[in-house]
Amino acid sequence: MSANPANKLQPADDLPRLSGDVVLSASREPVAHTAKVLAINPRNCTGCRTCEVTCSFVHSTAGRLGRSHIRIHPQGNDRFVQITCLQCSNAACASVCPMQALSREPATGAIIVDPNRCVGCALCEAACPFGHMHFDGESRKAIKCDLCAGNPACAHFCPHKALEWR
Amino acid sequence: MEMTIQIKINQMTIAVSEGQFVLEVARNAGFDIPSLCHHDAVEPIGACRICLVEQKIGHESVLTTACNLVVQEGMEIFTDSAEIRAHRAANLELLLARAPGSKKLRELASKYGINEPRHPPIQDNYPKDCILCELCVRVCSNLGHKALAVLGRGDRKRIGLPFNQPSETCVGCGSCRSVCPTDCIFMRDTPETRTIWGKTHRFVTCKQCSAPIMTYEHRAFAVANNGLGEDYYDVCESCKQVAASRRFASVVW
Repeated sequence: MSANPANKLQPADDLPRLSGDVVLSASREPVAHTAKVLAINPRNCTGCRTCEVTCSFVHSTAGRLGRSHIRIHPQGNDRFVQITCLQCSNAACASVCPMQALSREPATGAIIVDPNRCVGCALCEAACPFGHMHFDGESRKAIKCDLCAGNPACAHFCPHKALEWR
Repeated sequence: MEMTIQIKINQMTIAVSEGQFVLEVARNAGFDIPSLCHHDAVEPIGACRICLVEQKIGHESVLTTACNLVVQEGMEIFTDSAEIRAHRAANLELLLARAPGSKKLRELASKYGINEPRHPPIQDNYPKDCILCELCVRVCSNLGHKALAVLGRGDRKRIGLPFNQPSETCVGCGSCRSVCPTDCIFMRDTPETRTIWGKTHRFVTCKQCSAPIMTYEHRAFAVANNGLGEDYYDVCESCKQVAASRRFASVVW
């Protein structure tokens, strides 16, 4: 594993491209057992934050924006980048977990937290190079993007095809 | 080779593999068995006595904890008979005397019809509301810190630091507090420090925004044992997100 976290983010040449735009993924090797990936295309993003709202409603009962697993980061006035868990092929979170509570779900390719095994040490949160492991203060366990068990709500509701599940 | 054996839970036949525990088998099959001291990451010890189930042996039946009951061929288990409910209720009443302040415990007790416990609260219970389930001790030792221990015997039994000495191995990760079923472990965070088990740990703070990340001891332990270098732990979550978004943007535009 590369020591410098910044080096881990590379455009994935082997993933499908959307009309010439770059599709980004943390892993160079596409996960072999799934045909679909969550394709992020920041060029289409208008910063409407529908994905944030959708995610927080799916993953918390009251729709708290703090619980969203996807975040919009404005880059200047009219550019927006969506950052969510990239389901790294060689994931830092899963490799540091002392209880092996993080594992890859074969059906979706997502790295998921087993809440029954998580002891809430928050090491994964500190280790994730992209800042997308979260510690839920209420349940005192790690929470992360689970790709909504194969139908990511953010991609489903994105009005501009800036997020696509394909 | 894993052997498949058949057991009956609430008269439903289930095929399970050898060595599994009744609690996990029953929960996987959809039966609700309450428990307080059970955690998948550590060995079950049957301390809280809330996961009681009834095992039929011939014409007799015995009550036993499901969490550490290993499945056997032809076993017959009942998870929610009137007798079990009565015993769980009695145990909950006793636990409530230890931990009258625990919300989770009171909610579970009210499900079993106990709103006002008959027993007066135990006065010198420390940590307050501790039910002695030893989950924190087991988790701490499984994490490799072994900072906590069970002290004393009988009615003086309690959870604490070995020999009541300040701990050298506690790294302040807070896992004991995260798993505690009655939320009885005191931990206080300030922007620079975390105080837990009578010891104040200093936080590693973010290089960019000086937000707390983890304690120095926890980082040193993680670097030594969990395979990633120190540079993984020196920037906070939100600064990492911002850095990643900038890098995304530089690739896209």
